[in-house]
Amino acid sequence: MIPQLSRRRVLLLGASAAVGALAGATPRPAEAALRLDVTQGTVQPLPIAIPDFAGGSPSDAEVARNVTQVITANLRRSGLFAPIDPAAYIEKTVSIDATPRFPDWRVLNAQALVTGRLSRQGDGRVKSEFRLWDVFAGQQLFGQQYFTTPDNWRRIAHIISDAIYERLTGEKGYFDTRVVFIDETGPKERRIKRLAIMDQDGASVRYLTRGEDLVLTPRFSPSTQEITYMSYGQGDPRVFLLNIETGQREIVGNFPGMTFAPRFSPDGQRIVMSLQQGGNANLFVMDLRSKTTTRLTDAPAIDTAPSYSPDGQRICFESDRGGSQQLYVMAAGGGAAQRVSFGEGSYSTPVWSPRGDYVAFTKRGRGNFGIGVMKPDGSGERLLTEGYHNEGPTWAPNGRVLMFFRDPGGSAGPALYTVDITGRNEQRIPTPSYASDPAWSPLLS
Amino acid sequence: MQIGLTISIIGHAAALLWGVISFSAKPLDSKPTDSLPIELVSTTEFTQLMAGNKNAPKAEKPKPLVEKVDAPKPAKDLNAKVDNKELQAAKEEPPPPPPAEQKVAEQKPDKKLPEPKIDPLAEQMKKEEAKKLAESKAKPVPTPPKRPTPPQPKFDVNEITALLDKRKPQRLAATGDHLNHAPNLGASTGNAAKVSQNELEALKARLIKLWNIPAGARNPDELRVEIRVRLGRDGRLSAPPMVLTSGHSPAFQASREAAVRALFQGQPFDMLSPATYEEWKELDILFDPREMFRG
Repeated sequence: MIPQLSRRRVLLLGASAAVGALAGATPRPAEAALRLDVTQGTVQPLPIAIPDFAGGSPSDAEVARNVTQVITANLRRSGLFAPIDPAAYIEKTVSIDATPRFPDWRVLNAQALVTGRLSRQGDGRVKSEFRLWDVFAGQQLFGQQYFTTPDNWRRIAHIISDAIYERLTGEKGYFDTRVVFIDETGPKERRIKRLAIMDQDGASVRYLTRGEDLVLTPRFSPSTQEITYMSYGQGDPRVFLLNIETGQREIVGNFPGMTFAPRFSPDGQRIVMSLQQGGNANLFVMDLRSKTTTRLTDAPAIDTAPSYSPDGQRICFESDRGGSQQLYVMAAGGGAAQRVSFGEGSYSTPVWSPRGDYVAFTKRGRGNFGIGVMKPDGSGERLLTEGYHNEGPTWAPNGRVLMFFRDPGGSAGPALYTVDITGRNEQRIPTPSYASDPAWSPLLS
Repeated sequence: MQIGLTISIIGHAAALLWGVISFSAKPLDSKPTDSLPIELVSTTEFTQLMAGNKNAPKAEKPKPLVEKVDAPKPAKDLNAKVDNKELQAAKEEPPPPPPAEQKVAEQKPDKKLPEPKIDPLAEQMKKEEAKKLAESKAKPVPTPPKRPTPPQPKFDVNEITALLDKRKPQRLAATGDHLNHAPNLGASTGNAAKVSQNELEALKARLIKLWNIPAGARNPDELRVEIRVRLGRDGRLSAPPMVLTSGHSPAFQASREAAVRALFQGQPFDMLSPATYEEWKELDILFDPREMFRG
């Protein structure tokens, strides 16, 4: 029953409600937080402690220690981590089931801590587990366990390294990958070149050809199990497609006048290559299923070394249509090409980064060869390394590290090197003998 | 009509209430004070310079503490062209440097005074004054004082030599090289900032050193993190840092964790003085690596 309200009462009620609302809205006291802008930080390797992984049994302890060493070497080689010397650890072994004593690790200035264990299961598989701790915040960041066969321990170490790298730097890792390269042995006049494949840290080297024919420029397919390479046999150069797992070899085609092996498109359906006719070389794309070939460029110049962008929409390549070797970008279906390199010198072997934000190239000028990167529109050009002969950059799958080969000249042969995209941390990759023409696989997992 | 009015008034009151509650704006942030480190005078000294001290003695001698000016050496007589009159005026080097110059020197303690070599203009002014004084002394007759014509309408090399020789470099020492640390008479809270810029700079420097950011990140905007920090009197964190920005990318996560780690590692923030605790007990820190990713 609504009480009968006189007009006056209603007005009073409304007014008091409004006043009450306004009164209740006393402004909150102004916040007294002092404002501070930290506009830069440091770029320093992150101090990390990796005590030996525990082993379920004494035989496992050996493997566990090896795993720890591979992880430590991976992280140190990336240049972004600084593993702390185990001799300085206060708590030598940390069980993965217990919470670590953080003050002991804070004293060492370790910002992250990795504890782990390897144990053999009843069915013969090995269970590997690890935890990543944030020492100063005092909590676990990440934990994971893997089951695998015992002889796969290296891959486990690489996978764990990737997980740690990704969690702490925010970028995907690149440790669980392989590199295919040309292994060179023998004196300089009669070098024997064999196709070889190894883990990205130089371990587990395997030879894929016997060395009778000259082999060049291997390339990985996006599926990681196949590579293409060029082989100069008795006659014309031929392009082979090799399945690494099965060893099955297939001839893609007989291409007279080819200088570089073809590159795969990111979806693995097409390959793009450069074919020479007379004094002219043009880009062609071949669909792998239908084997139809389409011509992409038409200029009376040498267009070669094409590379797809990660979305497959554009191709960057090297051309001398302007008078000197320069880099051009055009749509994947062909058409007009824009020049993107404008510095002094000649540019060659462009490779588009898997992250899409850079194109790496070899630059030759002033008697030197250098490896550099630039943005796909040509801006932001930087040289990462310069020397007598550096050539053939290839990207790690996270777009952060480049591998190339360097020939010091003289009687010595070429060797493989990696450098970070910031230009820091140049490292030599150990190979059984001289090595050239590296190609980095995508992540295996 | 009454019901309509009732409903209307109640509706308005409700709308007002809702509006007041939902639109209560964020309190206005005070403009962040950008502190620029000064090159020649450090912030400590600047703060100390500006701060007064109630117990300081009154400065008897005006700053800079020049006691007396040496009798100027007579200009070398390289050339007979040198005017004797000029020499005389020069010799009668008047009483201590005019107060105007002192004041100038005092207000700009960080500017180095130019060498006497390139200060002929000041010399000229002084000489004119000296001349005026000398002449007014010499002629008590209030004839309009001879307008001191500019002594040398044309720059004669010898005149410059005359100018050069007469002054000792004392003035330099008094105003350029040393700062006067004697406190001024005044209130200590008059001009100085409450939380000294020096302390905030030191806090920033420590965080810069500890914040280990992922370099080569693809998109620097992803690395921006804003964190609210509550500190206790001892400079330690009194509560876990509160992250105010949100983001999902792995790069943001790495940057946020690095910033939080820097805060944990940097405590105790003992560079902040307990006297100004109320000012810095709550800090809003924005970690933004924009300076590192230019170009």
